[in-house]
Amino acid sequence: MAFSRSAVEELSALHGEPDWLRARRLTSFGIYEGLAVPDTKRQEDWRQVDLKGLDLEAYAPFQQPNGRAPLGTLENVGATLRQRGTSPAVVSIAPELTQRGVIFMPLAEAARAHPELVQRYLFTGVKPEQDKFAALHGALFSGGTFLYVPDGVTIDEPLVSQFWSAGSGAAVLPHSLVIGGKGSRFQYVDEFLSGDRQEAALASGSAEVFLEEGANVGYVALQHWSIKTWQFANQRFQLGRDSHLNAVTIALGGQMARLRVEAILQGPGSSADLKGLFFGTGDQAFDFRTLQDHVGPHTTSDLLFKGALRDRAKSVYVGVVRVEPEARGSSSNQANRNLLLSEKAKATSEPILEILNNDILRCSHGATVGPVDPEHLFYLESRGIPHPVAERMLVQGFLGEVLDRITVPQVREAVDQELAARID
Amino acid sequence: MADFEIKDLRVSVEGREILKGVSLSVNKGEVHAVMGPNGSGKSTLSHTLMGHPNYKVISGQVLFKGKNILALQPEERAKLGMFLALQYPVVVPGITMSNFLRTAINAKRGYDGKDKSKAINVKEFRALLRDEMSVLRMDDSFLSRYVNEGFSGGEKKRAEILQMAVLKPEIAILDETDSGLDIDSIKFVSDAVNRMRGPELGVLIITHYTRVLKFIKPDYVHVLVNGEFVRSGGPELADWLEAKGYSEWVKEPAKAPAALEAK
Ligand SMILES: Nc1ncnc2c1ncn2[C@@H]1O[C@H](COP(=O)(O)OP(=O)(O)OP(=O)(O)O)[C@@H](O)[C@H]1O
Ligand SMILES: [Mg+2]
Repeated sequence: MAFSRSAVEELSALHGEPDWLRARRLTSFGIYEGLAVPDTKRQEDWRQVDLKGLDLEAYAPFQQPNGRAPLGTLENVGATLRQRGTSPAVVSIAPELTQRGVIFMPLAEAARAHPELVQRYLFTGVKPEQDKFAALHGALFSGGTFLYVPDGVTIDEPLVSQFWSAGSGAAVLPHSLVIGGKGSRFQYVDEFLSGDRQEAALASGSAEVFLEEGANVGYVALQHWSIKTWQFANQRFQLGRDSHLNAVTIALGGQMARLRVEAILQGPGSSADLKGLFFGTGDQAFDFRTLQDHVGPHTTSDLLFKGALRDRAKSVYVGVVRVEPEARGSSSNQANRNLLLSEKAKATSEPILEILNNDILRCSHGATVGPVDPEHLFYLESRGIPHPVAERMLVQGFLGEVLDRITVPQVREAVDQELAARID
Repeated sequence: MADFEIKDLRVSVEGREILKGVSLSVNKGEVHAVMGPNGSGKSTLSHTLMGHPNYKVISGQVLFKGKNILALQPEERAKLGMFLALQYPVVVPGITMSNFLRTAINAKRGYDGKDKSKAINVKEFRALLRDEMSVLRMDDSFLSRYVNEGFSGGEKKRAEILQMAVLKPEIAILDETDSGLDIDSIKFVSDAVNRMRGPELGVLIITHYTRVLKFIKPDYVHVLVNGEFVRSGGPELADWLEAKGYSEWVKEPAKAPAALEAK
């Protein structure tokens, strides 16, 4: 069954969604039908993206519910949501958090229980109009998480969602909607996983995160889809006055994994720290588009995307820093560093600066592409450390700057393990 | 035959011949000083001995433990018992000193990530370092820092000697370990090196200045000028050089070592 209006209706019914949400899905589907697959030759935003071999018709619109998420053993977390395909999510949340007004539940359930909240925010950041894939995501999102942390609430332990793809040949399109109330403090983690490393899938894994005045939010996304997944995902952060965002995104999976990360520094004095890490092997291709949009005055952003590529893996990084007319006294930094571990690996990096207010404190950017430093290798090897071990240490050291920002030990461990297995 | 023998070594860098036939015999238990003006090829010698890929051997041999080590990778040379303290130690971001030292020690012990019994345990590691670090006046905070990152010139050199102390080589090449050190640091470093001296260690100490040779007394002194050894002798040759400099071999008015020191 290809993508169709009836598939949208069926999926919405499966989740027991209210009429307004079904209507929104259908509107998105209309947009999807009206848009062409991006033209990678003519559309600036899609240049360098290789969509050859992508056949949207080949994917089922959603995965039939076929089993719950695997049981996990996450410790020291405030709440977890696990969802496999379109099966109902399994949620656990510390009762103490519920008492303090924290809402953490499947998106469809929130649409019924808290329609005013969900309606106000859902898809206002990641808009279906953006492109065909965002429209598809809006029409057929396969489920997801709704998190609302009330004003002034601090949560020490992270809240974690895990989304599993469930079987070959279908679209798996999770969506997280996160709202941090005034002065709230918490960390939220999205994990995207495939049960089978080889299964074919069309995926997203998008998030909209809203930070109200003075909120301090940590967001971590771990993308570990199968290596036969086409991913088109969006993360959009909307920052209110004096709020602070710490975002870390890790990309390990995907045949072609595209991720757009946008931080909209709207509120005066808001700041965003954006870190990215990727590791590509085989024929994997990554595509990152980032936006540091300084809208309000005295806003600060610091972006660092680091990746290593081996075999024939490729990455494209295009990062826009925009300083809007009102953004006086703002400060931004953007860096993209790529380590090439084989002759055929390839990385390109393109910074784009759009400065519409020259009264800024700082606006710096830098990109590097190159192999492991031979002087570093010599130094380690001269101490008797074998070449492969030295190379692994250097790659881990290179990525460490971002790895150290993963605040959830279990996630860090999972990433370390995967990296160790892939670097050798 | 000596324990470590350099035979008629010729080396080029970027297509230019720098070492033009160098021979030297070092036995374990001996300390040899190699002195020479800037650019004479001292570091070319040290890097070539350790197997740095930028230095191309044109001809010659270096024999150690019955092998021509010029055919070996740097890691294999280290495993055989060679060590080079770099003139300009490299900053390696992202790798802590502690991880670096532990991995190097484990590599020497033949630990390949499988047989855990071969790996150094935490207690042993601590004990080993505590001793050596106190001699070098280094505090524990170095261990959690990235390799040489933010280290002062003197701290980098001390960290090199710390590595030597824990790896216990049989042939150590110290490339200008004394330069950039204040007199106290020279004493600490010399103490650490002198502690290691003994019948199982041969040292090649490369230096500009005779100063360090007051603390680490050489058995032999060799003068390298323009890629060739022009004179060899006992410790008295160092005193002679201190007085005369390299003017005998170098055309331009040679700077006295004291002046060099001030650069
Ligand atoms: N990696 C390199 N690339 C290009 N030239 C080099 C390189 N290494 C050494 N050289 C050249 O070889 C010559 C000898 O340099 P070397 O570093 O061996 O001298 P040195 O005796 O150690 O000098 P110093 O006392 O300044 O440390 C110099 O002319 C130097 O410019
Ligand atoms: Mg030198």
